[in-house]
Amino acid sequence: MEEWDEIEVPNNVKDIFVEMKNTAELMVDLAYSSVLFQEKEIAEEVLELEEYLDLLNYHLMVKAVLAARSPKEAEQITAILQMGRAIDEISNAAADLAKMVLEEKLHPVVRDVILESEETIGKVQVSPESILVGKTLEELDLATNTGVWVSAIRRGKRWIFDPDEDTKIMPGDILIGRGTRTALDYLKEIARGILKVMKHE
Amino acid sequence: MSELDEIRNCLVEMKDLSALMVDLAFSSVLYNSEEIAEEVYLLEEKMDDLTLKVKKLALRAAKSEEDPESLLSIIDLADINERISDAAYAIADIILRDIEPHPIIRRIMEDTEEELGRVTVRPGSVLIGKTLQQLKLPSKIGTRILAIKRGTRYIYNPGKDDVIQEGDVLIAVSSDMDKLRKLAGEEVEEEE
Repeated sequence: MEEWDEIEVPNNVKDIFVEMKNTAELMVDLAYSSVLFQEKEIAEEVLELEEYLDLLNYHLMVKAVLAARSPKEAEQITAILQMGRAIDEISNAAADLAKMVLEEKLHPVVRDVILESEETIGKVQVSPESILVGKTLEELDLATNTGVWVSAIRRGKRWIFDPDEDTKIMPGDILIGRGTRTALDYLKEIARGILKVMKHE
Repeated sequence: MSELDEIRNCLVEMKDLSALMVDLAFSSVLYNSEEIAEEVYLLEEKMDDLTLKVKKLALRAAKSEEDPESLLSIIDLADINERISDAAYAIADIILRDIEPHPIIRRIMEDTEEELGRVTVRPGSVLIGKTLQQLKLPSKIGTRILAIKRGTRYIYNPGKDDVIQEGDVLIAVSSDMDKLRKLAGEEVEEEE
């Protein structure tokens, strides 16, 4: 694990676990995005996150083992380890999904499935007239206000994966998000500048 | 219906179910609920059936497909969703094996980006009498209802025509659970 020495990992069981769950969810979203849009760069990001998640799981195991002070606690901790392993398995599945893009052999039905599922993935282009421009993701809170979870932003030639709350939306940004079709259509209207307010009636 | 149409329908169902199962599995651990864990177990069996069905259909479709090898990606997608559902089952299994979850698990679930929660619909709530289609909770408040507990019975993965009733307990995943709590008429402690 030497090459990962530089990477910062949260230092308690709870924070590591939260990071693992968030990362695995992000990976699944990005993996489906990479398949839908045939974007190898997104697929490669998923594979990098998979290594990061392995590292997190390793730290979770070490910390969890150290935390047990009694047989009862030890039993409870096995539950945490089992959940860690399950999350790791979800991330492995996401990585294999992303690998499908890199191997270039996708049947068109695969894309249809992503588009037709309850929660799908969409690309949302931000026009200069949109009220989104110049605001941070924290200010916008798109997940709550529109039901769309933004997992990546394409800015010019560059990708911003897992944008944080301080990320500001710029004109021309392409947001990759997960949500129901209604939610994605709603965000698209806001991003096009058609809707000038983000509050529902 | 052609084999490919049938495959598409199965895979859409699998993708939706595997996502639901992960959320339900975490909910079962969070609330130490054997009932929800049992549902994950039943859905897992359904996923196994769907996986086998997709594989059989793909083999049949191969006869008429110009590039039969491209069907491998379909089988891969089924496998990937099946593995996600297996992982969900492994989480729910903690509850089915009667291990008392570690107290930090509850705190973990409150701190993840997608928060899980259980909200009771109080008398006078604006949600009462409305269908999920009318409420559009996913786009309006970023909330998906995973299950409705009505009396002793659960309605899993409620559809657009399901109507919310007074006393329903909503199991939901949300970016901001307080929004749902307010709509349900629960008292919410204001932050700050």
